[in-house]
Amino acid sequence: MGDSSSATFRDRLLSREEVIAWFDSRRRSLGITAGPALVWLVLLLAAPLTFMVSVSFVNVNESYQIVWQPTLANYEALFAGGGPLFQRAFVQSLVLSYAIAAVTTILCLVLAFPLAYLLARKGGRTFKVVIFLVLLPFFTMYLVRAYSWYLMFGPSGVINATLLKFGIVNEPLAMFSYGVTAIIVGLTHAYFPYMLLSLYASLDGLDYSLVEASRDLGASRTETLRDVILPLTLPGIISGSLFVFVPSLGAFVTPRFLGQGKVLMIGQLIKDRIGSLYAVGYGSAASMFIVVSIVIAFAVAFRYVSIEDLGGI
Amino acid sequence: MDHETIERLIRLGLYGTAGALLVFLWVPLVVMMVLSFAVNSSTLFPFEGLTLAHYGATFADSGLIGAMFTSMAIATISATIATVLGVLASMALARYEFPYRELYRTLGILPMVIPGVIFGIAMLIYFRTLLGIVPGFWTVVLTHSVYGLPFVLLIVTSRMYTFDESLEEAARDLGADPIETFVDVTFPVLAPAIGAGFLFAWIRSFEDFIRAFFVRGTANVLTTSMFSMIKYGTAPKMNAISTFIVFVVAVLLAIAMNAGDVASYVADTDGE
Repeated sequence: MGDSSSATFRDRLLSREEVIAWFDSRRRSLGITAGPALVWLVLLLAAPLTFMVSVSFVNVNESYQIVWQPTLANYEALFAGGGPLFQRAFVQSLVLSYAIAAVTTILCLVLAFPLAYLLARKGGRTFKVVIFLVLLPFFTMYLVRAYSWYLMFGPSGVINATLLKFGIVNEPLAMFSYGVTAIIVGLTHAYFPYMLLSLYASLDGLDYSLVEASRDLGASRTETLRDVILPLTLPGIISGSLFVFVPSLGAFVTPRFLGQGKVLMIGQLIKDRIGSLYAVGYGSAASMFIVVSIVIAFAVAFRYVSIEDLGGI
Repeated sequence: MDHETIERLIRLGLYGTAGALLVFLWVPLVVMMVLSFAVNSSTLFPFEGLTLAHYGATFADSGLIGAMFTSMAIATISATIATVLGVLASMALARYEFPYRELYRTLGILPMVIPGVIFGIAMLIYFRTLLGIVPGFWTVVLTHSVYGLPFVLLIVTSRMYTFDESLEEAARDLGADPIETFVDVTFPVLAPAIGAGFLFAWIRSFEDFIRAFFVRGTANVLTTSMFSMIKYGTAPKMNAISTFIVFVVAVLLAIAMNAGDVASYVADTDGE
């Protein structure tokens, strides 16, 4: 750019009318507003994910160079076992992760509904205090929350130590040791607020005269809940479940702390392979199972809710 | 059972579950806070007395405190990028019709939904294997700037949808030019949402462990330092630094909730 053109550019910047005229074009405004994020998302989200998909279909040699030849070896390794390090664990982890994520989601839903209902019905001070008490753990580091449960559980953890201290039990209870129970508790604690906020957003928009009408017309409480409240809050239930299920499925920190090696969830498996061995082919292929699960979960969810309903987080 | 009794039982059940839930949310954190002041740092019993020694050791740990400042720098830069991009994108989404708009929106929300392990790995192999960039401070910033974007996008778009555009028309009718209209009318209305979005993106970056773990290279951030402290057992410093973080977040959140209606941005898709 020469001197003259940069001078013109400066003049332009200084001239208010010119700036306004420039922005007046719809195409330019759209480019200025939508463009930067688009570039960012293509370069730093779409491209990395696409690259990961392609890496899952190629081989990587010993010096971590990619050999661009299509192969299903990575996927075969997941199921057949490609050496002593990679055996069998994958399928087990995957099934276990689905089960843990599903239980966590149901638990969050059942626990959050009453509180969301109360919050939606009450306003004012109570609401503010309660929402503060819910949001504070939510905003606190995820790592800290997982760690706080790490202190609670375990053979000599706070729960068992307290039970022993007060003579309620004579020896540490296995259910309060590290394992699947501890992981589910930790994940519920971690993702519960997502469910609560999604349900709250739905319940808050609910027209309660419909509930009253249903009762006046002779429907029982369970009928009203089943036929009026639940259908109307379905978007909240679905988006809340999505926001609990998906991160639970790929969880790493919680199972690491609260499983203490007894449980291997899919997120840990992938992290171990890539973090310590840089087995990118294997890791990418394993990741695809989570990515595809997410795509399916969203495709199902979007049949019932629009993407706007996914707000509120 | 008569009507009154059932009503009372239902109310009792509702309040009971709600109360139990708050206890569930808080008990582990409170226990951790108590332990941070206790001589015995890993379990409540036997209780050996109170001390501030753990805090002293924590704040004397220059590695840990240095990592905390690195995390704050990363959070600030990445949240700023996320906020600028997110606000602009929100305007496009709320004001214009364009091809593939829903795809654009989905892409913008995706970073929030995709599990950290997957996103972290995708970024690592992208930077390291494809682009040949050595991971470090700036790769964490870039990764977190994408991660923070959805939080800004969701909060600001929900505010824009409730924005009364007749306010802008009124300003224009009264003689304000588009720049004045934006500065004096549009921006003040959006400002609380933009602030809340920035805060969200900042906190998400600051607390992130798994994404940072993959793309940090040799840079130490707070969460990775904390993670290596507890990797092989409990550490007294972990209770202290964790309690400190809970305290700081509590103060920030209280200020934010009083200054702007954070609760409605967080919990209410309809804005008001």
